[in-house]
Amino acid sequence: MWQLALLFPLIFGEIRGLAQNASPLLETLSAELQRNFLELQAKADPPPYFIAYSVVEEESQTAAGSFGSLLNSAGGLTRSLDVTVRVGSPKLDNYHRMRGDVAQFASALPLPVEDNPNAIRRRVWLETDRVYRLASQRLIRIRANTQVKASEEDPSDDFSAAPVSTYIEPVRRLSFSQTEWNARIRRLSQECNKHRGVLSCLVLIVAARQTKYFVNSEGTRLQHGRTFARLSIQVRGKASDGMDLLATNHFDAVTADRLPKEEALLAAVKKSCEQLTALLKAPPVDPFVGPAILSGSAAGVFFHEIFGHRIEGHRQKDESEGQTFTKSVGKPVLPEFLSVISDPTRDSIGKVDLSGSYRYDDEGVPAQAVRVVEQGILKSFLMSRSPIRGFPTSNGHGRRQAGAEVVSRQSNLIVESSKAVEPAQLRMLLLEEIKRQGKPYGLYFEQVTGGFTTTARQGLQAFTVIPLIVYRVYADGRPDELVRGVSIVGTPLASFSKILATSNVPEVFNGICGAESGNVPVSAVSPALLVSEIEIQRQPAGLDSPPLLPRPSLPDSADLKTAAQTGRERQH
Amino acid sequence: MRLLKFLFGFPVLVFAQQDTNDVVLRAMKDEMARSRALRLVDAPPYFVEYTLDDADLYLAGASLGALIRERRSRLRAPRIRVRAGEPKLDNSNHIFSDVYRGARYDATEFPLDDHYDALRLAFWLATDRAYKQALEALARKKASLKNISESDRLPDFSPASVVSLILPVPKRSFDETKWRDRLRDISAVYRAYPDIFFSEVTLGISNTTSYLVNNEGTEVRMPDFLTTFRIRVSTMAPDGMPIRDYAEFLTTDVDQLPSESQLKKAAQETGDQVSARRAAPYPENYSGPVLFEGVAGPQLLAETLGRHFSPPRRPVSDPERPINFLPGELEGRLGSRILPEWMDVLDDPTQKTWRGTTLLGHYPVDIEGVPPKPVVLIEKGVLKSFLSTRQPLPGQEGSNGHARLPGPLGNNLAVAGNLFFRSSQVTAVSDLRKKLLDLCQQRGKAYAYVVRKMDFPSTASADELRRISSGLSGRPVSIPLRLYRLYPDGREEMVRGLRFRAFTTRALRDILAVSDELYLFQYLESGAPFAHMDVSGYVAGVSVVAPALLFDELELERIPGELPKPPVVSPPPLIP
Repeated sequence: MWQLALLFPLIFGEIRGLAQNASPLLETLSAELQRNFLELQAKADPPPYFIAYSVVEEESQTAAGSFGSLLNSAGGLTRSLDVTVRVGSPKLDNYHRMRGDVAQFASALPLPVEDNPNAIRRRVWLETDRVYRLASQRLIRIRANTQVKASEEDPSDDFSAAPVSTYIEPVRRLSFSQTEWNARIRRLSQECNKHRGVLSCLVLIVAARQTKYFVNSEGTRLQHGRTFARLSIQVRGKASDGMDLLATNHFDAVTADRLPKEEALLAAVKKSCEQLTALLKAPPVDPFVGPAILSGSAAGVFFHEIFGHRIEGHRQKDESEGQTFTKSVGKPVLPEFLSVISDPTRDSIGKVDLSGSYRYDDEGVPAQAVRVVEQGILKSFLMSRSPIRGFPTSNGHGRRQAGAEVVSRQSNLIVESSKAVEPAQLRMLLLEEIKRQGKPYGLYFEQVTGGFTTTARQGLQAFTVIPLIVYRVYADGRPDELVRGVSIVGTPLASFSKILATSNVPEVFNGICGAESGNVPVSAVSPALLVSEIEIQRQPAGLDSPPLLPRPSLPDSADLKTAAQTGRERQH
Repeated sequence: MRLLKFLFGFPVLVFAQQDTNDVVLRAMKDEMARSRALRLVDAPPYFVEYTLDDADLYLAGASLGALIRERRSRLRAPRIRVRAGEPKLDNSNHIFSDVYRGARYDATEFPLDDHYDALRLAFWLATDRAYKQALEALARKKASLKNISESDRLPDFSPASVVSLILPVPKRSFDETKWRDRLRDISAVYRAYPDIFFSEVTLGISNTTSYLVNNEGTEVRMPDFLTTFRIRVSTMAPDGMPIRDYAEFLTTDVDQLPSESQLKKAAQETGDQVSARRAAPYPENYSGPVLFEGVAGPQLLAETLGRHFSPPRRPVSDPERPINFLPGELEGRLGSRILPEWMDVLDDPTQKTWRGTTLLGHYPVDIEGVPPKPVVLIEKGVLKSFLSTRQPLPGQEGSNGHARLPGPLGNNLAVAGNLFFRSSQVTAVSDLRKKLLDLCQQRGKAYAYVVRKMDFPSTASADELRRISSGLSGRPVSIPLRLYRLYPDGREEMVRGLRFRAFTTRALRDILAVSDELYLFQYLESGAPFAHMDVSGYVAGVSVVAPALLFDELELERIPGELPKPPVVSPPPLIP
């Protein structure tokens, strides 16, 4: 009785929440799904055995600035619909993997932003028809492809069972003052004018509310969401030898008012500009093999890119993948003092909000914390509803961006260490290791690209990690020396077996991860790592020279008046 | 608008009012002055041009009574052109003229504030990049030309006089709430059309200030305002054939749009058309007389002739690198007969209105800063002249001020402004129908065809465009949207699903008769196939005034290709 008493109010609360908070959109989607599913089952051949509608509603506001001027200031509300239709059976359906024939049905169809059933239902109906056609055509191609089943190593089904969930949460509100932020972004980006080497400067704030509506033919009905805010700083310049250089920083929080105060942000812009200026003067790096420390945020990115993507379940089934860990379950994959957890249910670490949190994944499966590696031993993969050998069900990691098909993706990747020392102690261990190996210096990777910067226009690959801020750490007591143009040789996966120790301070890297199911927000949390060996080389230099004419004079520089006068005289 | 009218009265040079408060113009001119010092490998730029379009954009769409999208944005789109070498031979019009291999530091998003320093910096980096790109292209072009024997090569650039035109830019605002409601209301018309699968009503407003500065001393600032109101409707016939129609209203000012009740009527009329056509017969192929009535006349002439008055020049390439280049429809045909000898064509962008309607093809100077000249293109049926930019064309002295769209390889595209088709032999509209039926009788045909609306500019889906263009040699012509059989007893019957076969500019020589009445057709030229409406980016308004046209013999055929099946599930019910 005592336990029941506790449970009652909860259930009661949820039912009340349902009645009050369910958006008219969810009702419209449910009704149209029901109608299409029943009519298709009665009339279509092959009939669908599963239909889901997923709508992502995003309200966003942005302000971008450069050198004191706005570049962009905009806001908007969009709704995108993705329809999933499965024909055949869970054993073999239209999502079955087939080489050279990618299963792509979703289209992120824009839906009316107003809750008008007439307008919404027409679009949902036509989109369901379009997806049903593609689904049945692909199933025919799969069935005709006799090689499909025979040659497959993993005979798992195409779709697994999942619990039916109902969860309705009130639509959150986006609070963001466009006017205030426009002014703030102008002030922040004005800082770039004080630094002569900065050729390109971008300070960008994006604040958004995302609400996901999900209904499927199994009865799951969800309405849930998140808000987030991200402030990014990116400054670029060109060294005298033509090498293109970049300094960057970013801050993430659940809402814009949880971001650092303006003074702290201004200090961050200044720091990036100063880092770039220092990089422009720094010596280009020489090829090197030896010990290094990766800062917590750099280590987080490495874990995410190098390790995290390899434990995504669907890769174990895809024969075009490297399948590094497919047969490693129960075997050591990391040093025994390390454990890795993927935990979307965790909202923050310390005072830092985590980007990879959610309550339900994009297949409507409740989020679960997954212990991927325990004391060095691989225990599990990240799973969507596409089962693999030994892992028949989803653990709530099926994710996608609107318009892409769901695959298993990372959430909050958290690295835990039982061999953790104070940061100062870790540095001492590095110096010892440098001496032990007889090297003149080791390396300290303070910052590497990830998330935001990997999508930059220089065409970096999603899985490539480019070190941005790297220091030489000398064993003889000389101060650390910044170097530029560092690129990592080979796969740093090998370095993971060479982790000697970690710090005891977890650092958070919030980012946006791009892969086959699009961009999804993620976090990586790791302490700093000491590795016995990492190999680096020099990046190729740029193809062109720095600008031919000197930079036009700027107000904050001392020689402004003279330059302006000269300019005027020239005109006369 | 009143102020503008006064200023537009001077067709050629307008003396600038000194506007020292315009920060954008000042930043452009100051950085332009500095670009004179650019010099690398002893090839200084001989021509530098900055253009900047400062645009306020609004787009809203509604369907079945609901707002389905709304966007407001502001952008500044720069275009920095640098020519190195000399007018006789420069970096333009080579297949690699637009290629730059270095890193770009000039922002693709331009500063939106009137922030002098940020603007200077942006123009500085853009000029630096454009100049380096020009040198690279010039070197490649010279290498390519070494291996090609070219007789009488035309120069790459022609001179133009210096223009100073600083026009005031009026502030514009409109009542968003009112227009949102209006869009909802008009779109709600389609609640009464359960057979229509898709309908959308959109309002687009683009208020642009265009700036131009070049190192010859030309400076321009002028307003460029455009409002588009579109109604688009589509569905599927029971046999799967896509059926669609649209109505488009273009003005320079949102307040000049037709009234709400007129727009509603247009929506209903478009809906009625589509519903009726859904059930219309799908006829067999036809060969015989065809009458283009009303706006279909100027539509046909705009597409098949108006778009071809400026043949593109073949870009320079390496001999071993074949390029996919389609010569212009009128290339090499100066002095040839294009139309009946009783027809003339004049392009006159200096005309502002026609019978009280503002002409979209009017502009004070083109995007190269050249004031447009009226050009007699066709006289007594014979091609006399081309529309030109500062890129020389054969048989053409300099620019006649028709550079209206930015083009590739360092040049701009010439587009018509206001095309006037004049005829010395005309027939009353009613007699034209009689003539059509007479022809019908002479040929022993049971009926003839009348076209009332062409699908130009087109709203076809990508799938449909493929079908429309498949199996045709040469340039496809858009399909007739509103097509009727006319029977000898005067009865009309709507049909669907036909296209013209092998219709080229040459067919226009055989126009049998034209109406005494003239019709105005205006559209937005983007350079895209069929001037498709879904292409965003630069557009130029074109006005065409022309009569109805009677052809002795044209071929209509069924559009080939498989038709999709109609949806399995019945349409959702519409809640009134």
